[in-house]
Amino acid sequence: MFAVLHVADFALQALLRTETALRGRPVALLDSSTRPPHLLACTDSARACGVHPGQTSSQALSRCASLRILTPRDDAETDANSGLLAAAFGISPFVEATAPGVYSLQIDGLTARRREPALREALDRLTALGLHATAGAGPTPLLALYAARHASPLLLIGSERAFLAPLPLAAADPPRELAAILAGWGLRTLGDLTDLPKASVAQRLGPAGLALWERAAGEVTRPLHLLVPPPAFSASMDCDYEMETLEPLLFLLRRFVDRLVIELQTASLAAAELTLSLKLADETMLARTLRLPEPSTHAEVLFNTLQTYLESLRTSTAVTGLQLDLTPIRVATRQQGLFDRALRDTHRFAETLARIAALVGSDRIGTPVLKDTHRPDAFTLTAPSSEIAPTNEPRAFVHPPQGLVLRRYRPPLPVLVEFSSDTRLPIYVRTAQSEGTVREVRGPWLASGDWWQQDQAWTREEWDIETNALYRLIRTPQGCFLEGEYD
Amino acid sequence: MPPAAASLSSLRQLLATRFPQASRPAGGVLPTGIPSVDDATGGLPRHALTELVCAGASTGSQLFIAQLLAVTRALPARVALIDGADQFDPQSFPETDLSHLLWVRCRTPADAMPVADLLAREANLDLVLLDFVSCPLPGLRRIAAATWYRLQRAAEQTDLAFVVLTPATLVSSAQLRLQIDRALPLSALSVDRPHLAVDLDVSRQRQRLSVANG
Repeated sequence: MFAVLHVADFALQALLRTETALRGRPVALLDSSTRPPHLLACTDSARACGVHPGQTSSQALSRCASLRILTPRDDAETDANSGLLAAAFGISPFVEATAPGVYSLQIDGLTARRREPALREALDRLTALGLHATAGAGPTPLLALYAARHASPLLLIGSERAFLAPLPLAAADPPRELAAILAGWGLRTLGDLTDLPKASVAQRLGPAGLALWERAAGEVTRPLHLLVPPPAFSASMDCDYEMETLEPLLFLLRRFVDRLVIELQTASLAAAELTLSLKLADETMLARTLRLPEPSTHAEVLFNTLQTYLESLRTSTAVTGLQLDLTPIRVATRQQGLFDRALRDTHRFAETLARIAALVGSDRIGTPVLKDTHRPDAFTLTAPSSEIAPTNEPRAFVHPPQGLVLRRYRPPLPVLVEFSSDTRLPIYVRTAQSEGTVREVRGPWLASGDWWQQDQAWTREEWDIETNALYRLIRTPQGCFLEGEYD
Repeated sequence: MPPAAASLSSLRQLLATRFPQASRPAGGVLPTGIPSVDDATGGLPRHALTELVCAGASTGSQLFIAQLLAVTRALPARVALIDGADQFDPQSFPETDLSHLLWVRCRTPADAMPVADLLAREANLDLVLLDFVSCPLPGLRRIAAATWYRLQRAAEQTDLAFVVLTPATLVSSAQLRLQIDRALPLSALSVDRPHLAVDLDVSRQRQRLSVANG
């Protein structure tokens, strides 16, 4: 059993799915390789104005002045083709690229009950990618192709004879000379032709007539030339216009993501990283790798990650091309601990963090981790863990944290200090904002470290003082400072 | 009851009857482990803004934060601290009390408010702390009342408790307002922190929600 996924006017559809501005407008595709150039395909709105494939551009424009004539674009076709291929591999691993926009599949592995849902699912995926496809299934690749061409949008052949008989002769692609002869004989449908004896047709029309008769009867079968699934998950496009706003960029990225997600799902993989490369108008490239908090195959998650990044991005010039590469990973599954506290929505959390990082800077958000040193204010910020392991209850500190918490001034506040001549303790302090007598004092405590590294060495004396509030006073080689307020 | 207040009350009742989902009931509290707070209110209300007014220097606002970090670590729950003046000192805390913390280091209140708006909608958090205690009061007073109401509306849609620490009464939409105004002595530096937190004298100034333990 075979199936065919068919995208009519593939080159035109591939182009239109990347051009939002052309939706609903009369558009035609010009084949400039012929002399004179003629139209390959056109949209329904162009047909309504009298434009047809085969016309020259001047003929078409005389019928429809607002007609937009485009030429085929390889990158658009490549991207659409990848989406179509991914949808095909989603149904069966035995796939043949029969023609542009036509993929034949061997679906013997699918039970009869599963065939229609699988094909419908593939069509839905393609619709989401902006490709209007049809699908057909039949006992031979040829019959499946006939079915796909005449489906709206899905046709599974039950009776071959009943299906083929009413089809026009053109469905079997007769050579031009034979078509004229058969028309002269008054034959209009495949059924008219196959009603004639096969041997008589072969005798009168030769090998070409015999082949046509066999095609008309659906007797031709062949093995498929199988494809290997693509190893990379990548999408790219060079635009012949400059994108200065986010909207057209996001539109293209959405198309990319939708297609790549289908490819990932087909390969039973998930995306771990996204690498977005933007080609700018000044011929420079801007690339950024975005790591996902968890591997994902959800288009929304991938797209939102890109959108969040792009919303905070400012480029010096307009974007003229883009490439999106997904790093695939086989998802490992692990059972969480019963009392672990994991994030409810990992991807949303990552998105929120990215938005905040865009506001305050990526070096100013995270979970603080203390460094293994006594150097003051030594810590690093790390990405928040996705899980919080439970602690052992009850909390039993050998040395419970003592005293008040420091509200640290960054940088420390310069202070003028008057020391007692007897006790060598601070008795009066004055800063730019306030001054006061030291009512009570503790210290000094001496500390130093990193003396073995000349540029890192530090040394200080510390006092805890009470004036109008509680402060930590420090004296360093650079002078006296209030390091913070105890609060 | 004055006529205007009576009609407002009846309008509220009518809306609550017509749109029961909109008038969301108090959805539990987050205990603080501070008796003066938990005894009076049950804890910090979820889906709501709580304002902690720290009227004076060295009154224990960071001690309050330390206590909340310790309590939420034991649950465990996830906490975000929006540091309005970048004065949080990780070295003052046991490392275990930091593992569940998301610290956002802002430079000004103007930096902090958009971050607060984002985190108030974050379903992955249980507690958000917005620390404005050391920020200049004139700048804080320039924050429009509508901004606080917007923050309250955002917090209502999530399960988190949102606490704003301020140097004076600022948060017009606060459902619960607490105050600490007793400056701590220097001798407090040699007392175990859990004992200090238990003795923290927090008074209730306003409570709009009827919170229940949960």
